[in-house]
Amino acid sequence: MIINHPLLGPRDSEEFVYLGSADLIKRPNNWEEDASAEDFYQYQYIRENIAGDHRELWYHEQGDQSWLVVTRNTLSHEILNVELAQDVSREIGRGK
Amino acid sequence: MSDYELVVESALDGVEHEFEGVTVSEVIGKSLVMVALPRSKFEEIESSMTKSCGLLLPEMEQSTQSKDSAITLWRLQKNQVLAYFSYEGNDAEVNIANRLNAPAYYTDQSDTWAMIRVSGPRSRDVLERICPIDLSKNVFSVGSVSRTIMEHIGTIIYRDGENSYVLLTMRSFGVSMLHAIEVSVKNVL
Repeated sequence: MIINHPLLGPRDSEEFVYLGSADLIKRPNNWEEDASAEDFYQYQYIRENIAGDHRELWYHEQGDQSWLVVTRNTLSHEILNVELAQDVSREIGRGK
Repeated sequence: MSDYELVVESALDGVEHEFEGVTVSEVIGKSLVMVALPRSKFEEIESSMTKSCGLLLPEMEQSTQSKDSAITLWRLQKNQVLAYFSYEGNDAEVNIANRLNAPAYYTDQSDTWAMIRVSGPRSRDVLERICPIDLSKNVFSVGSVSRTIMEHIGTIIYRDGENSYVLLTMRSFGVSMLHAIEVSVKNVL
């Protein structure tokens, strides 16, 4: 499987480590409120089991050590899109 | 004061093996220092390096050379470069900091790497069996540098000539890497 890294071009998936759903970026910000328990439960344990296009986090451990958001079809393993997690995170108003 | 002195020793004892069309040898007389670039100072650092040595910050996976060709910078991550330069002393960090004269953070890595050069007209044939990235002449052009895996271990590869490549692997893996390269040589030739 080849991952087309946005900065480095096509690289073998062997260089990467898979983490899981890209929803992990959206860690709840309301940890001081009572309602946060349910939000953190959802964040920590509840996962969609998608048969189709799945956005997920990959880490380029044996490369430039960047985090990527890869959109992969879980049925065909086709990789449809690759973005820097840093950019995705900033787009939704997180991080600096 | 201690009454002993640490002596620099090369990782592979200066090995040099010649085969038909390819030479495998240890790179000696080079130091490697990581230069970490604070995000807010990219421009200031670049202008200081340009002033002191005629160096520009390279693009990702590319390299730049100083005016006298003694210092090469590799860009493998956005926020750092590696300085690969001719120097054999114990104080490479101070040496390069003075030569570049730029407000970055320096960390000496010279002794943590084994550096092996694979050169000669058959070098690409030998490397393509152990290196997962595309080494075709036009894709991985002279001056390109990349961090990838070979033999399951993180390895930096730098093309320093038309038919010459330098591989960097962690020092404790140097002998095994040398073996892997030579097995590949035997398979190819």
